[in-house]
Amino acid sequence: MKTCPYCGFDNREGVLYCEECGHPFYSQKDAVETTQLSQDAHEGFKGRMTWGTARFEEGAVLVIRIRDVPEPITLEPVRDIIIGRRDPLGGDPPDLDLSSYGAAELGVSRRHALIRRGEDTLTLVDLESTNGTFLNGQRLLPHQPRVLRDGDEVRMGRFVFNLFFK
Amino acid sequence: MDASRNLYAILGIPPEATADDIREAYRMMARRFHPDANPNEGAALQFRNIVAAYDILSDPGERLRYDEARHALRSEPTPFSLRVMPSKRVLSALAEPQVLYLLLEVIPARQAAAAQRRTAPLNLTLVLDRSTSMRGQRLDKVKIAAHNIIEQLSAQDVISIVTFSDRAEVLIPATTVTDKTSLCASVSIMSAGGGTEIYHGLAAGIAECRRHLAPRMVNHIILLTDGRTFGDEERCLELAREAAAEGIGISAMGIGEEWNDQFLDALAAATGGTSAYIQSPKAVLQFLDERVRSLGNAFAERLQLTIAPDADVVLESVFRLQPTSQPIDVSPQPIQLGTLEKSRPVTVLIQLQMPPSTKTGFRTVARLDVTGDVLWSERQQHKAISDISVEIAHNPQPEEPPLAILDALGKLTLYRMQQKAEQALSDGRVQDASRQLENLATRLLAAGHEELAQKAIIEARRVSHTHALSQEGRKSLKFQTRQLLALPMPESDKR
Repeated sequence: MKTCPYCGFDNREGVLYCEECGHPFYSQKDAVETTQLSQDAHEGFKGRMTWGTARFEEGAVLVIRIRDVPEPITLEPVRDIIIGRRDPLGGDPPDLDLSSYGAAELGVSRRHALIRRGEDTLTLVDLESTNGTFLNGQRLLPHQPRVLRDGDEVRMGRFVFNLFFK
Repeated sequence: MDASRNLYAILGIPPEATADDIREAYRMMARRFHPDANPNEGAALQFRNIVAAYDILSDPGERLRYDEARHALRSEPTPFSLRVMPSKRVLSALAEPQVLYLLLEVIPARQAAAAQRRTAPLNLTLVLDRSTSMRGQRLDKVKIAAHNIIEQLSAQDVISIVTFSDRAEVLIPATTVTDKTSLCASVSIMSAGGGTEIYHGLAAGIAECRRHLAPRMVNHIILLTDGRTFGDEERCLELAREAAAEGIGISAMGIGEEWNDQFLDALAAATGGTSAYIQSPKAVLQFLDERVRSLGNAFAERLQLTIAPDADVVLESVFRLQPTSQPIDVSPQPIQLGTLEKSRPVTVLIQLQMPPSTKTGFRTVARLDVTGDVLWSERQQHKAISDISVEIAHNPQPEEPPLAILDALGKLTLYRMQQKAEQALSDGRVQDASRQLENLATRLLAAGHEELAQKAIIEARRVSHTHALSQEGRKSLKFQTRQLLALPMPESDKR
């Protein structure tokens, strides 16, 4: 079995592209020699790859570190966690309410994104938020789950936090 | 006795094999392909050949006569051969099924192709839609395209033109192309009016094509329509299958948004032809020109592929990549592959599922068998066989799949994603459809096809709002993702 690192779909062995989302399991570009970039070429480059594990084990907890906030938030993702901010006019608050961290000013939607528990993985799904959800600098398409890895950086509008598996 | 068939190759043995070798080979082949042991359609076809080969080779007198007849043919070069590349040469022993891809190339032999300098004689029939909706620019371009085709042809070629609306008229009965001026004049009087009933047009077209049907010609019908035919699609497919059996290929092109692409695909796939989507009337010229040029380059015609997987192997899908990309049904077999051009191989990507296996060692996977009529050869039908085996081992060295397979499959994946989105939509799974389209957009963008990616995003949004795709968007996504297969990678991907 080959689990897609992009969408979490379980493919049969031998498959070269995910049968669900088309993600390539082998990169053709690997065969081409890599160009050595000068140091300045990296500047202003916001995207970042993380190589933490995608495996989220039974009983593990999720630690959320919000930028410039000393105290981390710890969650046990047993079911879907909706991330957003409380609506002052009422309505159901999200499972993870970020309004006390200045979420509204930083462009977080009321129902911005959700974290979903898979078999051994967690996925992040954008809920058609106004300002978008970015995983390691890459914008998510609405409703399209992406597998989370230990240490990933998530940006919702201009609100930035990191996720750690413990 | 037909000595043109290599009976030794059918049994997988060298010509100097002993009587014992022959018996042993037959037993082994029977175990692999006997209908009682192997339910695959292709296997039954192979088994028939194997029995016929064994009947001759197991009889010493018959074998001697066959060998002598075969010796006399020796001087002729092999006109085409097969090259098969598997996605992996060593599979790991696994308790679960795994997927194996085969990239099959049918390659015309260089000397043989060089010997054939002339262009192939064409027996070409145009079946043209002249329904009311064709009025104006569309019909004008079609007329120009028909004129261009007539100009390209020579006295060795035969042309006929049938027009249809609710009924069919033979505009130009099958004739050799000698008086180009009067042929062009006949085309010019075409006028639009009426509905679209493809069946009548197709039936009349096949009748015209049949009049000059010859094994040494490329017998082909090009159907051009901008409409949807109602209630007669099944009858049309029946006609197409009959035509294919007689050696007539059909290419179909749809103009505009109204026509039924699934139907035209089926029509082309059943006969080894090509189907295409033409967005602007201008593109009619280009498509027809390319099609006729490709047919004129024919080296062998009526290429047929039989895929006989071993009993425990599942044939999942077949896709022709070259000369034009076309999805192909795995049944009925043999599969029609159409024309083999002089200088361009026919390429087919085959997807198989291998069974769970913990036994290590070499094993056979499938037999591929291609026959075709070589247009200029003394002995006409040629057959090439390839038996595919792989090794199964515990923890084999990881191997990179061949680039040719990665490249082809990468593009095919895009096309499949679009097909999946469409399937989801027609099943009423709107969320799935829109997710598939978004996935498609992501992958198209990653591959550098920005314009197509934009189209996919627009369609994804449209689907989630209106629960339907636009006809234009659907068709251009489908045929443009399919066309990617024929194109080199975009500049941004090279590097």
